Amino acid sequence: MDDVDEDVIPRSGPPVEDIDLSEEFQDFRFLGTATGNDVKIPKRGEKDFEPHATALQSNTLATSRQAMHNALSFQRVHAPKGVALATFHPDSNMAYAYNPKGSPLFARMGQVFSKGEDPLGDDGLRGQRMWFLPEEVIYLVERGTVDLRWPATEDDEDERGLPMSLQAAYAMFLGEQQGLGALIQWYDPTDTHVPTAPQSPSNDAEIRVTYDVWKPGSATFKKSDHGPPDFRIAVVDARETTAPSLQQLSSLLATLPYEPSKTDAQLYQKLKHGYKNVILAIVDQGVVSYLRISDAAFGREKLYERAGRGPGAKRGGRGGRGRGRGR
Amino acid sequence: MATPELPAVTEPFPIFTLAHRYLLYDIGTISHIRAHHNIPGVLIGLLPQAPQQNVFSGIPLELMPEEARLLCEKGVGYIVDDVRAHKQGFLDRQMGEEERRVLREGLRRQGVVAARQVEEKAEGKKLAAMQRRVESGGSVENWNDLPEDMLRPASRAGRSKKGKKGQNRDSGTATPEAGVNGEAMKPDGEDTMNGHAVKPHASADGDGDEEESLFGSPMNSFPARPLTHRSQDTSTASRRDPEPYGITPATSYPPLTATPPPSRSSAVNPTTPTEEPATDVHQLPDVPPSYPLYRHLHSEGYFLMPGLRFGCQYTAYPGDPLRFHSHFLCNGMGWDDEFDLLDLVTGGRMGTGVKKGYLLGGIERKDEERGGRRGRVRKGGEEVVDVGKGSREKEVVRTFCIEWGGM
Repeated sequence: MDDVDEDVIPRSGPPVEDIDLSEEFQDFRFLGTATGNDVKIPKRGEKDFEPHATALQSNTLATSRQAMHNALSFQRVHAPKGVALATFHPDSNMAYAYNPKGSPLFARMGQVFSKGEDPLGDDGLRGQRMWFLPEEVIYLVERGTVDLRWPATEDDEDERGLPMSLQAAYAMFLGEQQGLGALIQWYDPTDTHVPTAPQSPSNDAEIRVTYDVWKPGSATFKKSDHGPPDFRIAVVDARETTAPSLQQLSSLLATLPYEPSKTDAQLYQKLKHGYKNVILAIVDQGVVSYLRISDAAFGREKLYERAGRGPGAKRGGRGGRGRGRGR
Repeated sequence: MATPELPAVTEPFPIFTLAHRYLLYDIGTISHIRAHHNIPGVLIGLLPQAPQQNVFSGIPLELMPEEARLLCEKGVGYIVDDVRAHKQGFLDRQMGEEERRVLREGLRRQGVVAARQVEEKAEGKKLAAMQRRVESGGSVENWNDLPEDMLRPASRAGRSKKGKKGQNRDSGTATPEAGVNGEAMKPDGEDTMNGHAVKPHASADGDGDEEESLFGSPMNSFPARPLTHRSQDTSTASRRDPEPYGITPATSYPPLTATPPPSRSSAVNPTTPTEEPATDVHQLPDVPPSYPLYRHLHSEGYFLMPGLRFGCQYTAYPGDPLRFHSHFLCNGMGWDDEFDLLDLVTGGRMGTGVKKGYLLGGIERKDEERGGRRGRVRKGGEEVVDVGKGSREKEVVRTFCIEWGGM
């Protein structure tokens, strides 16, 4: 859109490659084509402008709804062998599992507590007992990775509690948490590393970092030693928060370490990344928008020096942004 | 709207609240409100059969407070405090021994069915592989020699292989059990449809009472309908039982039961202290001041969804968002609210840029009743129940659409 006259009403939508498929409610008939990173969903033009009471249209709608219904009717089952059985622990609002297996996720999620920290104390099994935070449990239950159980009672014959439903997991693990910015999609598939910072309920106006996020395959991430996260995300409720004040932003940024981008990055990237930055996840009734707030690094960069750009900088690629320089 | 395949849902149905949010877990209800009440909600969960993407989401479905309120006002839904219900039912052991036993037995049955399905699936795969070998041998005519029942599962497996090859492979490598699930579920489409169609007549088949007591409940919400209808197939039931699979149901109702408020009049008037423990019948969801606009547009047949993506309060769709793009970006306002002209320009340019109209609306207020209108809507209660019928003519909502002239 580099050379588009500002005053011309755009007649066509954004270029196809810029469309974020999650921005619109997609037709579940295409679910079969949207797996992995390989998404082949028709970009535009599949939907109609308005209802016109034709049989074709209502049949298509019925098919779409049926496809959605079928997709959502999926049942989570666990093969008896190799099932990861987790048990809800009401007092700590966490769940634990003994030596969970069956998914590579367990290499990156959960933690074994030390003697003093384990809510069940230091019995002989403490070393095999892996604890999961509320968000982790829900994620694992939603994936169908763990078989979550209520605490066993004396009359559960096989020492396993009753199976916990997805609904029960939501009610128990999220129900009590006030100030949990929301039930957000914390498992954005590009960032399968999970929340670390156990959140402290923030009822005051202060905005805090809710999650540290590592990219999948992050070299620095180990359960024992996290290393610096790739992103920090603060969750904000769109309906209960006004635009953050400078004071709120300053105190939020003050909690972050000084982390400028690498010196060989492109100038524009470096400015955008800033000295420190945080992503605001604004949640409106289940819809999430991400905003990056950064302390722009104008003090570090010499904007008047045209030489010394990073190796990746393309001349032509930035021409369209030129009007920013004149201001 | 002709969607006869979807299961019938008994109204009023429960809407579950936790942490000031309104959620639905039962797929029957989710499809029902979409088809019959024009309420889409937002899916906020993860689809277990395709966990590595964020284009399609899964259960639960989050309702805006406006949506929950509207359903309550129509008398088709009621609010249930889900945290309290679960605590009392499961942790405080208010659920009876019999219910626990029924739940266990029901889940065990489903587990057996699921295990059997996986077995069948494996067999089907074997057959499909055999058939592919035949096919690659070039002797397609031989298909006619194969018995009919051999062809059926094989061709189905072959087709799903064709359409969903990538999915199987991906989920298989990500989590082994997800792969199994994917396989187990893959007899999709018509099977599931038949399952629902068969369901209402299940009692006519003279099935076991236990299954009836569990699945014939008015909640209509037990999650495994696609699987259960297979257990009614006597030919498979006579075989040995494989070791049951573990089941994680989507909803807890049953075994928990939610009781709808007895009637609207007594629901508003809290005179009876002996209310059902799991329900809070006096509670209507709190809604923002834009609710009148929401209700007005909804009554005109629009589907409304949260507007955050376009920087407004609601996006209004002329039909189901599955099939249509939205027409309007909507903001509710008070009749005498002041706002910046710049907001109009921003909204108008934004709307025009995405080929939608920027729409403002609110309750038109006559001079004599200035003051306090919005407050009354927010505080809730019975007074706004039947807006738009005769006596409520003062609550006329007017809407204005702004388009950027682009001169």
